[in-house]
Amino acid sequence: MALELKSSDNKIFEVEELVAVQSETIKSLVEDGCADNVIPLPNVDSKTLELVLDWCKNHVDMKLDEEKLKEYEDKFIEVDQAVLYDLLLAANYLNIKDLLNRACQKVADMLKGKTPEQIRETLNIVNDFSPEEEEEIRKENLWAFEE
Amino acid sequence: MEGLAMLRQLIGQLQELLELYGSHPSSLVLPSPSLSPLPHPLHLLQPLPPPPPPPPPLLSQFHSHHQRQQQQRQHHSWCVLNVDDGSADDYYSLIMAAGKSGNFKMLEPCKPPHAKKPRKERTRGKLSGTTNTAEIMEQQIWKDFPEDLFEAVIARLPIATFFRFRSVCRKWNSLLDSQSFSQHCAQVPQGNPWFYTITHENVNSGAIYDPSSKKWHHPTISSLPNKMIVLPVASAGGLVCFLDIGHRNFYVCNPLTQSFKELPARSVKVWSRVAVGMTLNGNSTCGGYKILWVGCDGEFEVYDSLKNSWTRPGHMPSSIKLPLSLNFRSQAVSIDGTLYFMRSDPEGIVSYDMVNGVWKQYIIPAPLHLTDHTLAECGGRIMLVGLLTKNAATCVCIWELQKMTLLWKEVDRMPNIWCLEFYGKHVRMTCLGNRGLLMLSLRSRQMNRLVTYDVSNREWLKVPGCVVPRGRKRQWIACGTAFHPCLTAIA
Repeated sequence: MALELKSSDNKIFEVEELVAVQSETIKSLVEDGCADNVIPLPNVDSKTLELVLDWCKNHVDMKLDEEKLKEYEDKFIEVDQAVLYDLLLAANYLNIKDLLNRACQKVADMLKGKTPEQIRETLNIVNDFSPEEEEEIRKENLWAFEE
Repeated sequence: MEGLAMLRQLIGQLQELLELYGSHPSSLVLPSPSLSPLPHPLHLLQPLPPPPPPPPPLLSQFHSHHQRQQQQRQHHSWCVLNVDDGSADDYYSLIMAAGKSGNFKMLEPCKPPHAKKPRKERTRGKLSGTTNTAEIMEQQIWKDFPEDLFEAVIARLPIATFFRFRSVCRKWNSLLDSQSFSQHCAQVPQGNPWFYTITHENVNSGAIYDPSSKKWHHPTISSLPNKMIVLPVASAGGLVCFLDIGHRNFYVCNPLTQSFKELPARSVKVWSRVAVGMTLNGNSTCGGYKILWVGCDGEFEVYDSLKNSWTRPGHMPSSIKLPLSLNFRSQAVSIDGTLYFMRSDPEGIVSYDMVNGVWKQYIIPAPLHLTDHTLAECGGRIMLVGLLTKNAATCVCIWELQKMTLLWKEVDRMPNIWCLEFYGKHVRMTCLGNRGLLMLSLRSRQMNRLVTYDVSNREWLKVPGCVVPRGRKRQWIACGTAFHPCLTAIA
């Protein structure tokens, strides 16, 4: 049983149902009987959708081979930051748990070496602590800073 | 008579401390008064200047009266106290007098290391923890990162990094209280356990070892009582259960956060030594946990965190021989809601099913020449870790329990080269942790070697020395337990 998915830039992808329902979002549509026509995915562009579908297909194919799957996943996630960002958002929107988890792990790995100030800069977070409060918190958690 | 009971209890505590800290025989004896009348009982209890490592910080050195006359002797011997001598009253008053005089040096609470911010922290971007310098994240891309995905990412940071990032903003600082964050954390697969250790030098705060990063951390758990010694005895789901050295009070806490609870008092009158086990009701501490203590007389109680109370679910079956000579140096092992304890006389294991409340006994002969043995488990298999000493050669061995035959089968040994270090020496071993990854603290007179052993892949690894921040001296690891670092485990 094949489904048709349409990316934000109007490209149509034909996919096996078994592969597509890795996305909980698509799975709900199928179960609700709304998947007879082309399913529009306005939040995912074709480039990203292609990658996502590749992930889903491999997860069906390699389901029983844990080692091979891990190898695939590690290689898959080595992408440019811009691509990673798009993958993350797509995985969130399409509700593909394992892809979302893997992408989040990758982002965590990129963030872990930074200082709190660098985190704020990168993620555009406002520092809502006063200098005294910030100092207090650093002191409380001093053990994590010590080598 | 109450005084005698208290004295026995004190002796028990002292013996325990000696076992913990000394490579010396663990019996305490004072010379009988008939040998030579002492002008003042306090001459027996004199503090000595600390010797070269390891200094036992807890007790004053006791010199036997005879040895005092032999000044040449450099090493420290222990006076032996024989309570059954009948003249218990004399000894009782000796100890009590010593306690009052202040010559008897009890442990003073130690302050945590002075919290002075290291210089390098003040310089932005030069934090020593910045190992990942290669990856520059482009702000253009990430500045619109949706907030609802923050938690999923933060839950996947290394633990120490999480604590560093608490100062980013208020939201990140309050994640430990967030239910949704808790759920994200629960989804992250569990890695290696960490080890909460008590060092000889500072029994009032733990030193925590992270085997994944091979780093020691020294958080202060301000809620633990610092005027008495508490030792970790069990752990489950990221929580560690502590028991004070007098075996009176239980405390449960998450060593990483400040989540802490003192358990209600037990319904016993005499605080004798107990073995302790801990299990989770479900998959995490949200479902509650249970703690069991059992004593040599077959008495036991179970604490239920959901009810916050102790209950006595019954009696030990008569098939289990009393007194129950429990191996107190071995941690209990928990598999599928059943706790396993080592016993001797007869040698074997007793188990308690925490769900159904059933005790069972298994008679299992111990390997020969075995000392300092403890139980462990890996993937449902029960293991035994211990020292084999034969003809001055000591080796750490690992056995697995053959369930069909109820016999121990040797499955691994510490690499020979490492064992050679202990040739001809008197070695004590403490095993920290009891599941999957174990930390072994091997102590002889002059040295303390730390090793981790991964049961599933049979890997032996050396552990870097534990040094307090801004310190230089290696700390001696006395005891401790493994625990799963869990940010959201609540006591």
